[in-house]
Amino acid sequence: MNNGNSRKRLAPAKPSPQQQQKHHAAMEEEDLDEDVFLEETLLQYEEDSQVLREFEEHNALNERLQKWKRPPLSQAYISQTQSILFQQLEIDYIIGESHKELLPNSSGPAAILRIFGVTKEGNSVCCHVHGFEPYFYISCPPGMGPDDISRFHQILEGRMREANRNSNVPKFVRRIEVVQKRSIMYYQQQASQPFLKIVVALPTMVTSCRGILDRGIQIEGLGMKSFLTYESNVLFALRFMIDRNIVGGNWIEVPVGKYKKAARNLSYCQLEFDCLYSDLISHSPEGEFSKMAPFRILSFDIECAGRKGHFPEPTQDPVIQVANLVTLQGQDQPLIQNVMTLKSCSPIVGVDVMSFDTEKEVLRAWRDFIREVDPDIIIGYNICNFDLPYLIRRAEVLGMAEFPVLGRIRNSRVRVKDATFSSRQHGTRESKEITIEGRVQFDVFQAVQRDYKLSSYSLNSVSAHFLNEQKEDVHHSIISDLQNGNSETRRRLAVYCLKDAYLPQRLLDKLMFIYNYVEMARVTGVPISFLLSRGQSIKVLSQLLRKAKQRNLVIPNAKQAGSEQGTFEGATVLDARVGFYEKPIATLDFASLYPSIMMAYNLCYCTLVTPEEVRKLNLPPECVNKTPSGETFVKSNLQKGILPEILEELLAARKRAKADLKEATDPRVKAVLDGRQLALKISANSVYGFTGATVGQLPCLEISSSVTSYGRQMIEHTKKLVEDKFTILGGYEHNAEVIYGDTDSVMVQFGVPAVEEAMKLGKEAADYISGTFIKPIRLEFEKIYYPYLLISKKRYAGLLWTNPDKHDKMDAKGIETVRRDNCLLVKNLVTECLYKILVDRDVPGAVQYVKNTISDLLLNRMDLSLLVITKGLTKTGDDYEVKAAHVELAERMRKRDAATAPSIGDRVPYVIIKAAKGAKAYEKSEDPIYVLENNIPIDPQYYLDNQISKPLLRIFEPILKNASKELLQGDHIRSISIPTPSNSGIMKFAKKQLTCIGCKALISGSDRTICNHCKGREAELYCRSVANVAELENLFGRLWTQCQECQGSLHQDVLCTSRDCPIFYRRKKAQKDMAEAKNQLDRWNF
Amino acid sequence: MEVDSENNLFQRKQSLYQSLDESFGIQKEVYRGQQYSQIYFARLHLMRTLLYSLVPNWKSHLPVCTILGLEEGKECIIVGTLYKYMKLKPSILDEYSKERSASPLVQRHNFMHPDDNLVLEDESGRVKLSGCLLLPSKYVTGIIIALHGKETSAGDFLVDDILEAGLPQQIERPIQLGEDKYVVFISGLSVGRSSSNPLQFQLFVDHITGHLGDEKEQNIAAQIVQVVIAGNSVEVPHGLLNGQNLGSKDQSRLFEPIKELDILLTQIAASIPLDIMPGSSDPANFSLPQQPLHRCLFPGSSAYNTFRSCTNPHCFELDNIRFLGTSGQNIDDLGKYSEANNNVEFMERTLRWRHLAPTAPNTLGCYPFTDRDPFYVETCPHVYFVGNQDKYESSLIKGSEGQMVRLICIPRFAETGVAVVVESHGANRYALC
Repeated sequence: MNNGNSRKRLAPAKPSPQQQQKHHAAMEEEDLDEDVFLEETLLQYEEDSQVLREFEEHNALNERLQKWKRPPLSQAYISQTQSILFQQLEIDYIIGESHKELLPNSSGPAAILRIFGVTKEGNSVCCHVHGFEPYFYISCPPGMGPDDISRFHQILEGRMREANRNSNVPKFVRRIEVVQKRSIMYYQQQASQPFLKIVVALPTMVTSCRGILDRGIQIEGLGMKSFLTYESNVLFALRFMIDRNIVGGNWIEVPVGKYKKAARNLSYCQLEFDCLYSDLISHSPEGEFSKMAPFRILSFDIECAGRKGHFPEPTQDPVIQVANLVTLQGQDQPLIQNVMTLKSCSPIVGVDVMSFDTEKEVLRAWRDFIREVDPDIIIGYNICNFDLPYLIRRAEVLGMAEFPVLGRIRNSRVRVKDATFSSRQHGTRESKEITIEGRVQFDVFQAVQRDYKLSSYSLNSVSAHFLNEQKEDVHHSIISDLQNGNSETRRRLAVYCLKDAYLPQRLLDKLMFIYNYVEMARVTGVPISFLLSRGQSIKVLSQLLRKAKQRNLVIPNAKQAGSEQGTFEGATVLDARVGFYEKPIATLDFASLYPSIMMAYNLCYCTLVTPEEVRKLNLPPECVNKTPSGETFVKSNLQKGILPEILEELLAARKRAKADLKEATDPRVKAVLDGRQLALKISANSVYGFTGATVGQLPCLEISSSVTSYGRQMIEHTKKLVEDKFTILGGYEHNAEVIYGDTDSVMVQFGVPAVEEAMKLGKEAADYISGTFIKPIRLEFEKIYYPYLLISKKRYAGLLWTNPDKHDKMDAKGIETVRRDNCLLVKNLVTECLYKILVDRDVPGAVQYVKNTISDLLLNRMDLSLLVITKGLTKTGDDYEVKAAHVELAERMRKRDAATAPSIGDRVPYVIIKAAKGAKAYEKSEDPIYVLENNIPIDPQYYLDNQISKPLLRIFEPILKNASKELLQGDHIRSISIPTPSNSGIMKFAKKQLTCIGCKALISGSDRTICNHCKGREAELYCRSVANVAELENLFGRLWTQCQECQGSLHQDVLCTSRDCPIFYRRKKAQKDMAEAKNQLDRWNF
Repeated sequence: MEVDSENNLFQRKQSLYQSLDESFGIQKEVYRGQQYSQIYFARLHLMRTLLYSLVPNWKSHLPVCTILGLEEGKECIIVGTLYKYMKLKPSILDEYSKERSASPLVQRHNFMHPDDNLVLEDESGRVKLSGCLLLPSKYVTGIIIALHGKETSAGDFLVDDILEAGLPQQIERPIQLGEDKYVVFISGLSVGRSSSNPLQFQLFVDHITGHLGDEKEQNIAAQIVQVVIAGNSVEVPHGLLNGQNLGSKDQSRLFEPIKELDILLTQIAASIPLDIMPGSSDPANFSLPQQPLHRCLFPGSSAYNTFRSCTNPHCFELDNIRFLGTSGQNIDDLGKYSEANNNVEFMERTLRWRHLAPTAPNTLGCYPFTDRDPFYVETCPHVYFVGNQDKYESSLIKGSEGQMVRLICIPRFAETGVAVVVESHGANRYALC
C-alpha cells in the first residue's frame, strides 16, 4: 500500500460526486440510525423575543394566522384528568438527558422517543417516551459463566470507549443479559440456547458495537473471537414499535396519571408530555381504532423566477410565490387556500392572497404559516426533490437562519441529506432526504411513480390520466415575464401556482393514497414515512421480527451476500404456440401462487435443513419435503415455519377485509378496508421477493429457488393433467390443448366454440386439478379469452370474458400500448388494429386501416403530435457516451434560443426529419415546433421502418401469411409527398413561382390561379380549396376554444406550452395551416 | 318586365338597394397567430361602454365594480362576459380519451345538463354566479350583461337583477307610400340531395318570375323586388373533397348540383334582383362570417348584375328598410347550448343581447378578429331573418324606444316547400308554398 502517494493524488481533488454516490450505493440496503442531539439542532437565540418582534412586524399576518389554529384543548386535557388517545403518524427519537422523575436511577444522555400524532378532536400530540434502550443479541459462546460475562462486558466497554472517544456517555454498554433464544436460521431440534442481550446507551452504538464484535475481540481464555450479531440492523424506532406492538398509524393511549406534562414545551404541539415506554397502550387497528384522526394535510407548490435558458437554481433565482391548500383528512372542501406572492398580486376569489415586498418576507410568512397551521402531513408534487430543498437552500442563500424551523420542535431546523433509494422493483433513484420533525412528507410524485406505470409522470399528464383534467402548463421562461409584469400578470401566475397545489390533493383523494398507505403501514407495522423512502424489504423484515419475537426467535444480521451468490432459475414459461385463436381460450390461474407454495410446503428459514443436518439428524422421510431444487424442509408437524404463518395471517386478514368490505356501507370505512386488502395482497407477494433479494436483509436462496421450482413443477403438472384428462378418449368433445403458460397461469383451448361451454370446462378443470395439490395451493378459473392473439412469450392480446353474455374489455400484455419511447402513432395504430381484429373481427378492415395510415404518413397528412418521440434529458451532451438524438437536439436548440431550450430534467420531444443521405440518426432529430414553423419534411421512412413496422408485424404475423408483404408493400406506399422546407439549404436560392392549383403546371403572372388547361375545372377546384379551408377553420376553432377552456379565461391569450397535451402541436399546426390555406384561397379572388 | 304582352303588362317594381355587408368581409384579414381573446376583448369593450351608459337609468344608486373589486356583502353592479360551464359540452380532447367509449357516438341535439352553471368574466377575473334569477338554461357563453348583486361568503356572486343591452337604435322607418313591395326569402334548397325535388324549386321560380298563375298572382309576383337565398343551396358530396385527384366521372358528380343551381338562379336573376348567402353545406368557408360564394361557381347567373353573392350574416337596406339575417348557424348553436320555447325566441334574445352570434367563437366557428366584433348589432334592423329552420315562424317585437322588428324563421325549402314573402315595410308577411 502506498498510502502517502495515493493521498497526494487525491488531496487536491474534491471527492467527485460519483464517488459519493458509490458510497451511498454501497449502503443502500443498510438502514442506519442517526443520533441527533437535542442541543445541536436548536438555534442559538432566544425564541420568545424573536416571536415578539415578529408579532409587531406582522400584526396583520398574525391575525390571519390565528384563524387557522387548531381547535383549542378541552378542559379535561388541560386538567390532565383524561387519558390521551391519539393516532400516531411519526415516531423518531432524539438524544437528551434522561428524565429525572420518570427514571430516577439513570443519568447521562439517553435516547428519547418522540411520538407525534393527532387526537380525534384534532389536537396535536407530542409524546416523549423514556426508558426504552437500544439493544441487540449475540449468541453466547458455550461455557460462558456470569464471571466471564462481566469480564466480556468490561472488554467491550473498553473497546467502545476507544471507538467513541469524543462521547461523554458515562457507560457505553449498559448491561449484558443472558437470555434463552433461538436463531431463526435452519431447523433445530433443541428449543433454545443462551444468547447475550447487549444493551447499549445510544442507538448508534448498536452499529459501532456490532462493528467491534464483527471484527472480533480478544477474550481471555477464548482468544480472538468474532461474533455474529442478531437483530443489530433494526432501526431504533422500529425496534421500539416492534417491542411495544405498535404498527404504523395506529392509535396509542396513555392513561391518566401515567403522563407528566412537560416542564418546558419543546414542541409546538398542543399536548406535550413525558411518559414511560411501558405505560403506553397500543391499540390494534380494528373496530373503532381503524378510523383516521382528522389530521391536517398541507399541499403546496412554489414558483421560482428562473433566468432565461436555465432551470431555476436556488443560489440565484428567487422564490416568488408559494401556494398552499390545507385539508382536514376526510373532508372534501379545503380548510385554507392561500397564496403568498412577492410583489403585489390582484385578489383571487375564494383565495387568501398575501403579498410581500421582499423574498425574505415571503419565506418567513410561509414558515409562520406552517407553524400556525401545524400540518401533520405535507404533500405536493415533487416536493421532496424540488420544492422543499429549494426553499431551504434559498433561505440559506438569503441568510435566513431562522427559516428552516419547519418541524414541530421549537427552534429545531430541518435536516437535509442526499439519499439514494434503490430496489429491484423501482430501480435506483436519487433524492434528497429532508427531515421535518413531526410532519410526514408525502410526495405524490414519488407515490405515483412507485404505484403506477405511466408513459409520463408530469403533473399535467398524471392529472389528465387520473382526473381527466388538462392542466395549463406555463413554461418556466415565461414565469419571470409574468412576475415582472403587473399585479394582473402575477395574479395569473398565482392562479397557476394554486392549481399546482390543488392537483396533488385531488390526486391524493382520487387514488386514496392516505388510506392505502396508512393501511399498508398498519399491516406491515412500519412507520408511514418508511413506505415511500424505503423498499419492500423493510416491510417484510418488520413482520418477520414481530413474528420471531412471539416465537422467541432472533434474526441474524447476515452478511451482505452480494450478487456473487448467483441467481437461481426463475419462473417457468411454457412455450407459446403462437397464433390467432378463434375459439375460446380458458385461463387457469394459481391464486397467489408463491405465497401458497410457501404455505403448502412449509418453506421458511426455520424449517430449512442444511445438507449436513439432513445426514446427521436422520429425519424420517414423512416429516420432510424435498423440493424439486434439492433442498430439504421439515413439515409443519415438526416445526411450523414463520413465513408460512405470516402469509397465512396476511391472507386470512385479506379474506376478512374483503368480507367486511362487502358488508360495509360507509364510503370511508370502505376506503379503509379496500386499502387494507390491497396492502395485504402486496405484502403477501413481497415475502417471496424478500427471500430472494441477494442484497437484502436476510436472503435465503434455498427458499426462493425452491418456490420457483415448485412453481415450475406445478405449471407442468397442470399442463399434463389438462391434456390427459380432457380428451376425446376421456369422453369430451375435443382434445384440450395448452397453448401457453406463464408464471402462474395456464391457457387452455378446450376446443369448444362457445364461451359458456369453455367456462364450464374451465371450472371443471380448475376444481379437478386443485384437488391434486396440497392446500392451500389452488387453481382458479377466472376468465376466457375469445378471440385470442398469442404473439410470443409474454405478448398477447384478447377479448376478456368473465360472463358468457358480453365481453368485459380488450386485454393486451406486452404489446406497444404504453411504451413511452414510442410515438403516439404506434400506440394508436396498434390499439386500433387490435380493436378491429378482436372486437370487430375484421382482419381485412385492420389491414386497410394500416394501409391508410401508412399512406397518410407518406403523404404527410399525419398529425405531427402523433409522431413526437419524447425522452428525458438527464445529463448534458458530454456526459452521454453515445450521441443520442434528444441530447443533440437540446444542444442545437440551445444555440438557437437559450431561453426556451430544454434544460436538464426536462423531457425533450422530437421528431425525425429527412436529412442528407447518410446522416446519423441522432442528427435527424428536430424540435416539432421548429418543424411546423419551417415546413421541414419529416422522414416517413424512419417511422415506417423503426417505429411501426415491428409492432405491426408482430400482431399480423400470426394472422396473415405474408404479413410484411401485405402491409408494407403495395400501392399505398407508392405515393409520397414531401413538403418544401421554407428556410433551409438550397431553398434559399430557389425562385418561387406560382403553379396551377389544378395540375401544378407553372403559370406566369401572379394574378392567375389555374392554367388554361384546367380552366374548365374551375368550380371543382374551388370547391376543393374551400372545403379544405372549411375543415381547417372548424379544427382551428375547436382547438383554440378548448385551450381557452383549460386556461379558464376568455379574455386572455392562451400561454400554455404543455407538450404533454395531446392537442399542443395540432393547435400550432392548425394556426399555420390556416394561414396557408387562406392564402391559397385568396388566390381565387382575381 | 313583360309577362304577358297581350292584355296586362305588369311592370316589376324597383327599389333602392344598398349592401351593408362590408363589416362581414375578411378579405383583408390574415391569420397571424392571433387568438380568440381579442374578439372577446373587443366585444366586452364595445358592450361595456354601452351597458355603462344604461346603468344610470337602471340603478343609478349602485356602484359599478370590476370583478376583482368585489367585496363580500357589498351590493354593486358588475359587467362582464358570461361563461357557461357545461358538463356535456363536447371537447376535442374526448377524441384522445384513453378508452374507446362504449356509448354510441350519436350526435346529441342538446348539450344541456341540470348541473350547468354560469360565471361572469371580465379582464380582471371570474366569479361564479348564483341565485335563481339567472337561469343557466337561458344563457350561453359569450353574452355580455350587467348584473346587480353581491358577493357571498362562499365567493359566489348572488344575482339580484339583470340588465341586458336591449334592442339597439333603429333608423327611422320611411313613410309608407301605399305601394306594396315584397321580398322573398328562401333557404335550404339543397340541390343535389337525393331527396330534393327539382320540380318544386322550378315551380317556385316560375311563380315568382310570373310565369305561373293568373293575373292576380302575376300582379303579386311583379311586386317582388328582391329574392334572398339564405344558405344551404347545394349539397356537395363531401367524400369527394378529401384532397385526392378526381376522375372525370367524380368531377361531374361534384359539379352537377352546382350547375343545376346555376341554371335555376339564372332564371331568377334574369327577372328579379337576387342575393345568395352561403350556408353550412355550401361550398364556402366554415367559420362565421362566411364569405360570399365564389362567382366561378355560377358562370350563368353571375353574368347578370342583379345577381349578388353575399356574406353570411347578410345585411342590406331596401328603400331604407334594413334587413339583417343569417343562414341559421347562430340560432342552431343556441339551440344546442340553451333552450327556448321556439326559435323566434332565440332570435329575439340575440337582438336583445345585441349580438348575432354570442356563442362564436366558443362553440360556433368564427374568424379570430383582432380589433372588432362584426356580430355586434349596432343598428336595429326592421326585418331579422334566419334561414334553414325546421318550420316557418314569425313574430313582431317592439323595443322600448318604439323599435319594431319583424322576426322570421325561414324553413328549409327542400323539406317543407315553403318560402317566405315579406312586405318590404316589414309589416306583413306570409308563407308561400
